[in-house]
Order: sequence, then structure tokens, then C-alpha cells
Amino acid sequence: MTTEPNISTKYAYLNGQAFEIEEGETVLNFLRRHDPSRKVPTLCDSPNLDPFGSCRVCSVEVALEEGGKRKTMASCHTPVTEGMILYPHSKSIRKLRKNILELVITDHPLDCLTCEVNGNCELQTVAGEVGITDIRYPEGENHLDKEKDLSHPYMVSDLSKCINCYRCVRACDEVQGQLVLSMAGRGFDSHIVKGADTSFFDSDCVSCGSCAQACPTAAITDVFQSKSSVNAEKTRTVCTYCGVGCNLEVTATEDDILNIRAPWDAEVNSGHTCLKGRYAFQFYDHPERLRTPLIKKDGELVEATWDEAYDLIVSKFQDYKKNDGPDFLAGISSSRCTNEENYLMQKFMRAVVGTNNIDGCARVCHSPTALGMQRTFGTGAATNSIEDLKYTDCIMVIGANPTEGHPVTGAKFKQHAMKGKTTIVIDPRKTEIAKYAQYHLPLRPGTNVAMLNMMMYYIIDEGLVDESFVNNRTEGFAEFLEGIKKLDVDEMARITGVDKELVRQASIAYASANNAMSFHGLGVTEHSQGTFTVMQIANLAMITGNIGRRGVGVNPLRGQNNVQGSADMGVQPHQGAGYLDITKPEVNQKYNTFYGVEVPSHIGYKIPEMFDAALDGKLRAIWIIGEDVVQTDPNTQKVIRALEATDFVVVQELFMTETAKYADVVLPGASFLEKSGTFTNGERRVQRVNQVVPPVGESKADGQIIVDVMNRMGYAQPDYTPDGMLEEISQIVPFFAGIKWDELGENGKQWPVAKDGTDTQILHLDQFKRGLGYFEFHDFAETSEILEHGKEYPYILTTNRKLEHYNCGAMTRRTGNVEILTEDVLVINPQDASGNGIKHGDMVCVESPRGKVDIRAAVSEDVKPGVLSTTFHFPEIMVNNLTSDVHDTEAMCPEYKVVSVRIRKSKGKYAK
Amino acid sequence: MSDNLSELSGRKGVVDNLFEKMTKAAEATGTPAKEDLDALAEEFLIGKANTYGTATFYDFMKPENKGKEVYICNGSACLCAGTQDSLKSEIEKHVSADKIGHMTCLGRCHENGAFHVNGANYSARSGEEIASILNKTGKARKDRYNVLAAGPDCLTANYPGFDEYYALLDQVLKTDPMDVLTEIKVSNLRGRGGAGFPMGLKLESCRNTESDTRFIICNADEGDPGAYSDRYLLEERPQAVLLGMMIAGYAASANWGVVYIRAEYPEAVSIIEDAVRELRSKNLLGDNILDSGFKFDFKVIKAAGAYICGEETALINSIEGQRPEVRIRPPYPTQKGLFNKPTAVNNVETLAAVPWILKNGGAAYRAIGTERSSGTKLICLDSFFKRPGIYEVEMGTPLRSLIDELGGGFAKPVKAMQIGGPLGGIVPVEKIDSLNIDFESFGQGGFLLGHASVVCIPESFPMVKYLEHLFEFAAFESCGKCFPCRLGTKRGQEMLTKAIKENYKIDRELFHDLLDTLQEGSLCAHGGGIPLPVRNALQYFEEELSPFFLQED
Ligand SMILES: Cc1cc2nc3c(=O)[nH]c(=O)nc-3n(C[C@H](O)[C@H](O)[C@H](O)COP(=O)(O)O)c2cc1C
Ligand code: SF4
Ligand code: SF4
Ligand code: SF4
Ligand code: SF4
Ligand code: FES
Repeated sequence: MTTEPNISTKYAYLNGQAFEIEEGETVLNFLRRHDPSRKVPTLCDSPNLDPFGSCRVCSVEVALEEGGKRKTMASCHTPVTEGMILYPHSKSIRKLRKNILELVITDHPLDCLTCEVNGNCELQTVAGEVGITDIRYPEGENHLDKEKDLSHPYMVSDLSKCINCYRCVRACDEVQGQLVLSMAGRGFDSHIVKGADTSFFDSDCVSCGSCAQACPTAAITDVFQSKSSVNAEKTRTVCTYCGVGCNLEVTATEDDILNIRAPWDAEVNSGHTCLKGRYAFQFYDHPERLRTPLIKKDGELVEATWDEAYDLIVSKFQDYKKNDGPDFLAGISSSRCTNEENYLMQKFMRAVVGTNNIDGCARVCHSPTALGMQRTFGTGAATNSIEDLKYTDCIMVIGANPTEGHPVTGAKFKQHAMKGKTTIVIDPRKTEIAKYAQYHLPLRPGTNVAMLNMMMYYIIDEGLVDESFVNNRTEGFAEFLEGIKKLDVDEMARITGVDKELVRQASIAYASANNAMSFHGLGVTEHSQGTFTVMQIANLAMITGNIGRRGVGVNPLRGQNNVQGSADMGVQPHQGAGYLDITKPEVNQKYNTFYGVEVPSHIGYKIPEMFDAALDGKLRAIWIIGEDVVQTDPNTQKVIRALEATDFVVVQELFMTETAKYADVVLPGASFLEKSGTFTNGERRVQRVNQVVPPVGESKADGQIIVDVMNRMGYAQPDYTPDGMLEEISQIVPFFAGIKWDELGENGKQWPVAKDGTDTQILHLDQFKRGLGYFEFHDFAETSEILEHGKEYPYILTTNRKLEHYNCGAMTRRTGNVEILTEDVLVINPQDASGNGIKHGDMVCVESPRGKVDIRAAVSEDVKPGVLSTTFHFPEIMVNNLTSDVHDTEAMCPEYKVVSVRIRKSKGKYAK
Repeated sequence: MSDNLSELSGRKGVVDNLFEKMTKAAEATGTPAKEDLDALAEEFLIGKANTYGTATFYDFMKPENKGKEVYICNGSACLCAGTQDSLKSEIEKHVSADKIGHMTCLGRCHENGAFHVNGANYSARSGEEIASILNKTGKARKDRYNVLAAGPDCLTANYPGFDEYYALLDQVLKTDPMDVLTEIKVSNLRGRGGAGFPMGLKLESCRNTESDTRFIICNADEGDPGAYSDRYLLEERPQAVLLGMMIAGYAASANWGVVYIRAEYPEAVSIIEDAVRELRSKNLLGDNILDSGFKFDFKVIKAAGAYICGEETALINSIEGQRPEVRIRPPYPTQKGLFNKPTAVNNVETLAAVPWILKNGGAAYRAIGTERSSGTKLICLDSFFKRPGIYEVEMGTPLRSLIDELGGGFAKPVKAMQIGGPLGGIVPVEKIDSLNIDFESFGQGGFLLGHASVVCIPESFPMVKYLEHLFEFAAFESCGKCFPCRLGTKRGQEMLTKAIKENYKIDRELFHDLLDTLQEGSLCAHGGGIPLPVRNALQYFEEELSPFFLQED
């Protein structure tokens, strides 16, 4: 790479002084940098939007020579150029601003005192700055009689307060990409509309709140009055819902959360969130929150004290440990808990109980990612950062529906695709991104490996292999090549059901982009060939040299907020904190010394093995934190039988979930708003979660509960504090070496973090973590689900997520989100629907070899004939009665994405 | 202005055009059905708000337009001529008032009494004539106006027939495109649409922007009341316009020519469409024109009634099916224009001059006119002249000679002329001798040549009413994007109306503040331009206007 020649610095002038110009900056930006104390007022400008130039109050005078003729220009969209002499606050400019504001106020209500944003209104502020005293115009036409829109659970508008700055329209377009809002009419009659002049509720609004945050007045806001400045105590924290890891700014009193906004300076989500992060917080003090421990007495869960609960747990655990052995106990930790809590839970199981029977919900989502990427690269985490989207020429999205599952990142993908930049989507369903992508490869569920092999076949065939990368940085290519060359692409095309020419074109697009980035989700991992698929994605990046710089790489979209962190912290039966292989003697020795006790060195149970062990009478006790295995793990009836077969079940939860109903002891944990710690997002960014309010009732931070039990079982562990825990973690997890609570700052750090605190945005820069990248060929193998049941159960059901709900829905169903999305539905192609006499909205009985459920049909072209799709957010349906216990052969991640079913119209008698 | 909408609309390009589909959907009833708008939104992957927002912008698509059958011209020339009140009452004898709408300037400024019915324009004065047009009895008379070149006839020369005319294309396509560009630069042809920007530089900038496609747009949205010279060229010299676009495309390395014609000129639309058809039938369009490797094709788009669409960035938004609001500059259209691709927008008259330049050489063109304003200019004279019509004059021609020698002088007493459209200056008759027809002379005199239409304000017409009309026009046609114009034109209109109708006196300081705010603050020359004629009027007709203002003490 050559460096740019040093272009001589350019200057512009202000107050007779020269200041340097940054390439491409606007006059406004220049003034903000060099004259921050004398603010240039703006109304239509907004931090995350392109310049627009409607309000004109940012105007300044510009001359091109000393004493030359001055021209008035809007500073927000005028580039500053060499030699400009700027007069940002001249007499005529001040007058112009005042005159514009006077015009604005001729069409604005004057009821500031009763307005939500009083004291926090940009119009008010600018009017104050320019010094409006009276309105000289005679009364004329106005829009003061516009009615409020109160139709929506979250979004509110009062367009009589609209100043036509278009910020909402642009936010919905440039940030969310939803295009819900527009101006309508023209001239003085211009007014904001939602959809074709409908209400928020009836529009296509996805309640991201970007418009409300962008609006400078109270014209668009939300039911939480997030723009009022009352009680402006604000705490910055991180969203609890998904692996994007949005920063939130929570406004609260000492015991009540008022509202949430998105900080503009958040690197992850600058001013943006989805409706879960911004609005779905009311669950935290919902009446149904568990507020005391519960103990099962005579089949009934009754309230108990902490001491009673702890005593019972400790005596039971000690009893089983002594009489049956530590491996008769197991723990499931939660990706929704902090890193520190996950670390503690695995430490408890390993060092206090003495077993490696510790696993987490990562098992059921991204365990194949961790395993597959470790095998190929040496590290089981995203190679790059989301920011790299700015530098990439091509994105490939495989088995992920990010606009629903990872909304803020999904919105960024959508912007990429909408702008016509190369986008490839490999997904059975026509996802939102697929609609905008050039290449959508709608493959039959379960055939990812065939598809990716085909792509590599074409890349090799077209001579698009990056030879130098392959030669210098990888091993195993020769054998791999042989495997690929033997492929019968026509057969692969038949298996996947996708036209091979389309696949060829997409392959060429990926391979010939300067920088191509891939992203994958659970549509990759939740298959019998999940780990192999991840390895093929990694291979694809390697043969095209898309590793080790900006804008490339393999980037799993981690599901839950801290699924990355829980694995990092050792919530896995085969690897301890920091991914160290527990079977290695030197590792075992290291842990023994560090924990001060002997820890076992044989691999423990993965979650499905725990259930099998229970059914085999080999499990006495299980402690499950924050995971509704009954509703969300596959094959519900089997999970229930396993819990029933376990003598002693401890469930630590926020709500009485389906799983908690089977508990002997229920412990009330704390939500993310009630405790501190760190979450690690999908790009390895460790961010601070800061407590906003005290835990409700007697509930406690999950970490403290674990510490209490540890101490009572005789292991001295200091009380739970995030700084103390991080101090301990940094000593044992190599890539946390330089992470200190006090140094994480507002935007966190991306691991590995060196001792000196430097973090890492891109992995495998010059060499892979494992040295050379490792090619390994795997052919497509049909899942046993189809082989065994495909004939009798001819449809393939695949499960996924909806934007409004999160996992089992325990949290989101207890917020306004439930008014927006009220139930799980079955998406079915019109052809299949009519073939079975099913109409949109009919109840359908779906039956698999495991069980049957009744569910409402949503007829749509989004799925191809033969494929059905649904969600499992609602316990009323319990879709997982259908799913199987087929697993990924390597990582044991369940195959939620391919379920053989048959369907018929029903009258609803199998509901429940 | 939305990059996303530009891109999404652009995926179907100009051929399968969103805006055209919307206007087609409006044809049956005057406004597109909600289902049609929603379906188009879905087809183009855009929001329902977007198609709705666009439809509600245009006079001939907005819901209020539903069921309109006859449109009466309310442009400045017809207004000053005083023909429209009686026209309206005549029409109301046949058509109920709620089915009558307005169009602003049908390009019949030389005859007035203009109206639009059944997709065609008419001007009529007698009741019988109106009745026969509305009842489709008898043959409608085509309008007639004088056309004369006072000197060189670069634009008005007789059309020699297709084959002879298009021989030039073969010759051009054998020349290196850079040499064609140079020829245009040498001619110093400046834009005739109002701003006077050198065409060669525009084409060059377009050419120099890296892209896989580029566009040449012909701005045939001639919205200035009083102007009908573009109409003349479109209807009488269509091949000059199209050949000019092809040459421009060749010079700028563009492959598409889009002719955007205002809906108020239905005849021009069909004549240009016929002319494109003729080109196609002669195999002069498509991939490899005359074996030169040059690829070019045309798309004709009929607008839907919005003056601001004449502004080039609004025009681009319009073609894209976005709301035709003005964009910020930079980026200039030559950097990022139609569908985010480099685009050169030129006026009809500018483009029509190009074949002459390539035929006779840039230097020959440059030799006509003045040092800084080269070539000839078409001037439209309205019905107050003894010889209304279109005159091609050399740049630099004294205004007096145009009026007296070509126009034959005023037929009725006239106190002032508004020259250059609604944003052009109001020239009092006593200033006639001080002006020559070129950009510089008008600029120095405190006026604006603009597109050089001439609308006479008769002595009998109150100046305050004319100002009210200007503000009403400005407010009605404001795109509404920027604060000063959206609010200011409305407030200006309200103050004038109030001063005319009630015992209200306008505060002079406030009025000047308003003019300053419009002029300095507006995003485009629509809001920014309206103060010029108003200030001219205040200066030259102070006595007539002062009763409407508060007297300073
Ligand atoms: C309010 C407004 C209306 C305009 N109307 C027209 C018009 O009707 N026709 C036209 O050619 N240019 C019109 N223009 C000028 C165009 O923006 C643009 O400058 C012109 O089409 C460029 O072509 P030219 O360089 O050949 O003149 C208008 C500009 C403004 C600000
Ligand atoms: S909340 Fe989001 S999706 Fe809804 S209108 Fe506002 S910006 Fe658009
Ligand atoms: S609703 Fe708010 S953001 Fe939208 S245009 Fe009006 S004032 Fe601006
Ligand atoms: S759920 Fe994900 S995208 Fe939505 S706010 Fe939370 S972290 Fe951001
Ligand atoms: S000056 Fe008027 S027409 Fe021009 S951008 Fe502003 S509102 Fe639109
Ligand atoms: S902030 Fe520049 S025009 Fe509004």
C-alpha cells in the first residue's frame, strides 16, 4: 500500500484568524470545531442524518476575499473551501435567523408551558438564542388544529407542533430504512404523513423511535415522553435483548424508570435502537415479576426467605455431591446475565461443585460458530466489526434475518442493500434484506453445506481463488480442492432447489468484490451440519482472501445480548474461562492453582446430554439461570420428562416461566436495569452495564446469588461487584488481560484487550490465531429428520424470530410490544395453503413425529411451496412440541430449522 | 431528496418509470386510487408514504383534482389581459363549477382566454367558440403567432426535412466526442433556462464523473407565465431539440435522453413522441447508432402540474417519482443526478441551439451576440403587443428595437413589463431605452433576463394586485422544503390580500424583512427570486403602492 501524498493543508478564516480545513467538511462542522463557544443555531440538522438545508437558520455570510462581497450560505450543507472568510454571526445573519424564526412561530402553538418538551425543545432553544420577542405578522392560515395521533402503544404525534424540518422523514429513511413517513401536499400545505395518511398503528412503522428522537419539537414523540427534561438523571447502559449491544440512556428517578433514548455518541448505535431496546422496558417492574424466593411444598411453589432457599439448595447440592458424585449435578447459565455472572456460575460448577456439567443457551444457538471458527481460524468469534460495513463492497447474509433478529445491525444491512451495493442473501425465506438484495438464493432448509460447496466450486471454476492468500496463510487446500472438484453441481442444485446460474453469479459477485463480508445467524448453526456450515463460510472467506483487513471477514450475528460473553467466560463443558481446553493437564493445573481447588479435567454434559442423563437417572440436581428450556428448547415433552426425572431443580428467573413451573426452588434474579456488569456484543465489544434502579422486591443480582451459594458451600468468594470480578477475570482469561471496569469508557473495548488496554477491531490480521487457516472439506449430508420422516411428514417447518419479541417472550410479552404482535403464526405459501384448503387467518394443525400444535395461518409468498415458518415467542402455542432432538453432529446445537411436519386445517382443538 | 429512493426508483430506470406509472394511474379520475399507489410502493420497494406524498404534490394528481374536466389558465399574461373572468362564466354554462380547475400558463400568452379540455389546449373569446369546443362541434382553431428572426436564424430557420437535417448526426458521430465537447465550449453557449450557465462546462463535468450511466435531461417544463418559446421549439422544431440532446449525449458520454415536458403542453408531448418514433423508425436510436458505437435512447415524460419541477433538482426528483423538492448543491446534478447518476439538465432552447453550433462551428456561434452572451435568444411577446409572437434576436439587441420594430409597439397603454417570468424583474416602460437583451445588461439594470418572456402590465391593472398575484403564485408553487419560502410567500400573500381587502396597512420594515429573508434565506431561486420584481415595483411604483403601507412618521 502506498500512502497518500501529503496534500498541503488548506485554511479558512474566522475572526481574522486562519484555521485548517478537514477534507470534505461543511462550514458548520468547521465552525463547530474551531469556534465551539459561539454556537451556530440549527433546526433541520441532526447528528446522524445527511445535511438537508430546509431550515436555513444555520446561514452564515461568506466572502472569498478580504472585504469582498459577502454571500449568505447555509453552513450545514456548504463545503468549506480554501480561503473562505466566514462571518457566522454578522448583523445581517442575526437578523435573518430572527426573521426565519418569527415566520416559524406564526405557525406554531404558543403553549410551551404545557408541552412535553418544555425546557428541552430545540425550537424553544433556537428562538431563545436568536431573541424572538414578538410576532409582527397578522394572523393567517396555520396548522394549529391538527389532531393528535394516540393510536400506537409507543409512538405519538401532535403535528400541530411540526415545523417541517423533515428530520423524522429522514430518520425513518436514512437510519431505519422503513420509509413510513413523508411530507404530503406542497408549499404551505406540506404536512407529515404516516403511510398513505394513516395512523402510526396502521402504518408500517416498526417503532424504532428514531423519528421521535430526531424530532426537535414535541410533534413526534412517544408515550414515555422521552423528550421531557424533567428528572433528567440519566444512566448509560447496554440493551439486554440482542447481540448488537446498543447503548441506552435511561432516565429514571430513584425507583422508577421513565424512558430510554439512544446516545448519539454510541459507536454501536449512534442514536438508533429497535423497539425492544428503547421501549420494551416495562417488564422490569411488572406485577408478575418474581419478588421472593419460592420453594415447592406439596406440589405448590410457596414464598420463602432467602435463607430457607439457600439452606435447601446447599444441603441438597452437598448431599448429591457427596452421595452420587459431582457429575450428578449440572448447571445452565444465561446469556442474558453479565460476563461476571457467567464467569461465577461456571466457577461455581467447576470449583465448588466439582463438575464440568456447565453449559449455556449458546448451545442452542451459536455453539457451532464457536466450534467451527475455532477449527478453521483458531478463534470462535467475529473476525471484524460492524463499523466495517462502511468499508465493504459486498455483504453476504446467510441464515439470518437481521431486520427482525438484530434490528440495528439489520437496518445497516438494509441501507447497504437499498443503496444497491452488492448484497447476497442465502435464506429459504424472502427476508426483508432479501427483498432489496441483488442475489437471493432461496435454498431448501438444511442444505447450506451443499450451497456453500457449490459457491466454492464456481469460484474455483472461474479462477477467482486468491492464490497468494491460500498459499501464504492456509493449509489443507489441496485435499479440500479435491473434495470440491468431485462435486456434482447439478446434483447440488437439485438438492438446494436453487438455479445454479444464480448461484454462479452470486459466487462471482462475492469473489470479485474488493472487500466482502459475510454474516451468519442461526439459520447456519441450528442444523445437523451446523459446524460444517460455519467452516464452509470460513473457507469461502479464505479462498477469496477476505480475512484480515477492514470490510471483510466472517461475522456471526450473535443472538442474545451476551451469548458471546457467556462462552468467553467458560460456560461450556469442554472449555473453561478463556476457551482453555480443560482436558489438557497444563490447563487443569492452571485452573487448580487459580481457583485454589482441584477442578475436574473430563468434559461435562452439553445441555441435550443433561436431559438424556436425567432420563437415564444420572442427574440429581440442575440449576438453571435465565433460560426457559421448556418453551424454547426443542422437543418440549422430552424436556419436561427430563426435568421431572431430576430430583432437584433450581430455576433462577425474572418470571414464572414454563420451566420455573417444574422447579423445586425458584430464585428471583435481577434484570439488566437493576445490576451492573459487562455484556460482550457480537463484535467482541465488552461494554458496561450500569445499574439504574434497585432490584424489585427481594430479588438480587444473579451474581450475588451465586456468590451467596458459593460461600455457603464453603468457598470464599467476595461479594459481587463488577470491578472486583473483572479484576479476577482479567487474570485468567487471556484476552481480557487489559480490561478494567474503570477504563471501559462509554463505548467499551473489543477483545482481545492487551495488558496496556489496547483493544482489537480486526482479528487474524497477519496470521490466524491458530497459525495457518485450516481447510477441511465436508460433503452435504441429508439430516436424519428428513431421511426418517420426510415421506410421512412432507413439509419442512423452520423456526425463526420476530422483531417485537425476544426468545420465550417472558420479557417482551410483558410490555407494549404484545399489542403490536399478538401471537405466533404459521407462514405458508399460497399454493400450499390453497392445496390444503387453508385461508389466511385459519387455524392449522401442524403435526410432527413428536407432537402437534394449532396455529393461525399467515399466507405469504415469503416462503416457497413446501416450506413453513413460525416463531416460538408465545407459550400458548408451544411450537417446540414439534421440534426434534436431532442435533449438530459436532456441537450438539439442536436442529430448530428443519422439522418434518404435515398440516391440515383445524378447528383449534389442539391448542395448548 | 433521498439517496435510497433515487436508487430504488432507478432500479427500474427510466423505461419502467415510477413517476410515469403514477401519472398514468391518475388519468382516469384525475388522481390515482389508493390501491394503485400502494401497489406501486410495493413494486418499487418504497413506502406507501412515498407514493402518497408524491401524488399529493402535483396539481394533476392530488386528490382535490379528482373529477376536474376543464382547466382555465390563471397565468400572469391571461390575468393581465383580463380575459379569464368572462371565459369562466361562459364555461360554467356548460360545465359545473366543481369540475373546473386551474392550469398556470398554457403558452397561449399571445392570445389569452386560454383553457384546457379533453387533453388539448384552446384559446377562445366568443361564447360560440367556447360552446363549440366544449361540445366538440365544429373544428377548433389552432393558435397562431408570429415567428421571426431579426438576424441570424439559429433556432427559427426552416426545417429542411429529416434526411438533410440528420446528415449532421453522421458527421458528429465520426468526430471525437472530446472535439464535439470543445466545439460547444468554444461557442460559449449559456443556458437559456434562466441561470445562464455555460453548457460546455456542464457537459464536461458530467462526462468527468465516473459512472456506468449518464443522463441528458431536456428541461421542457417551461413554467414561466408569458413564456412559450420552448413550446414553439418542441412543437415546431422537435428534431432540433432531439438532435441537440443526442449530440450533448455524445459529448458527455451519456446514453439516455429524457425529455420532461409539462402537462400543460399536451400537443408538445405528442409531437416529441412522434419525433422520437421517427428517429426509431430511421434506426437512429439504440445500441450502435450509425455504426459509431454510440448508444442512445429517449424517454419522454409528461409532467403533472408543478412549477417547481422546472428547477433542475426538483425535476430530477420528479422523474424519480420522489416529491419534487429542491435538493441541496453540491452535489450538483452532473456529479449525482437522476438515479444518483451524473446528469446534465438543459433547457429546450439551449439544446436546440446545439445542432447549429455543430453545423456551423462554435466560433461562428460565438461571433453572434455580445462578448459574454453569445448567440441568439428567443423572446416571447404577449397579446399587448401589436405583433405578438416569438422573435429570435441576437444577444445585445436593444430592448427598444424588439418592442417597437419587431413587436410593433404596444396595442394598449402599458405601464410596465415583467420580463423573465414570475421571478424576473418588473421593467417600467421608462427603462426600456436603457436595456439590451443580454444577461449582463439586465443584471446591471437591476432586472433579470431569465427565459426572456415578456408580460405586459397595462396601466389599468393595479400594481398591488399584480404583487398579490406574484406572491400567490410563489406561495402556490413553493415546494415547501425551506422555511423562508414555505412560510414567507404565504405571509406575503396574506399581507397583500389583507391590505387590498381590509383597512390594513403593511408595516414597511416587516415587508422588507420578509423580502430580505426570502432573498437571503431561500434554498432556491424560487423563494430567492420573488423579491426582485417586488422590489422593482416598490421602487418604480412607490406612489401607486404607498397607500397600502403604513406611513412612516
Ligand atoms: C423556480 C425555478 C423554475 C425554473 N423553471 C425552469 C423552466 O421552466 N425551464 C428551464 O429550462 N429551467 C428552469 N429553471 C432553471 C433550471 O433549474 C436549470 O437551471 C436549467 O434547466 C438549466 O438549463 P440551462 O443551463 O440550459 O438553462 C428554473 C429554476 C428555478 C429556480
Ligand atoms: S418509529 Fe421508526 S419506523 Fe416508525 S416512523 Fe419512526 S422512524 Fe419510522
Ligand atoms: S414531525 Fe418533528 S421531525 Fe418531523 S418534520 Fe415535524 S418537526 Fe420535524
Ligand atoms: S434488541 Fe438489539 S438492536 Fe434492539 S435495541 Fe437491543 S441491542 Fe439494539
Ligand atoms: S425556495 Fe421555495 S421552491 Fe425553493 S426550495 Fe425553498 S421552498 Fe422550495
Ligand atoms: S441546519 Fe442548515 S438549513 Fe437547517
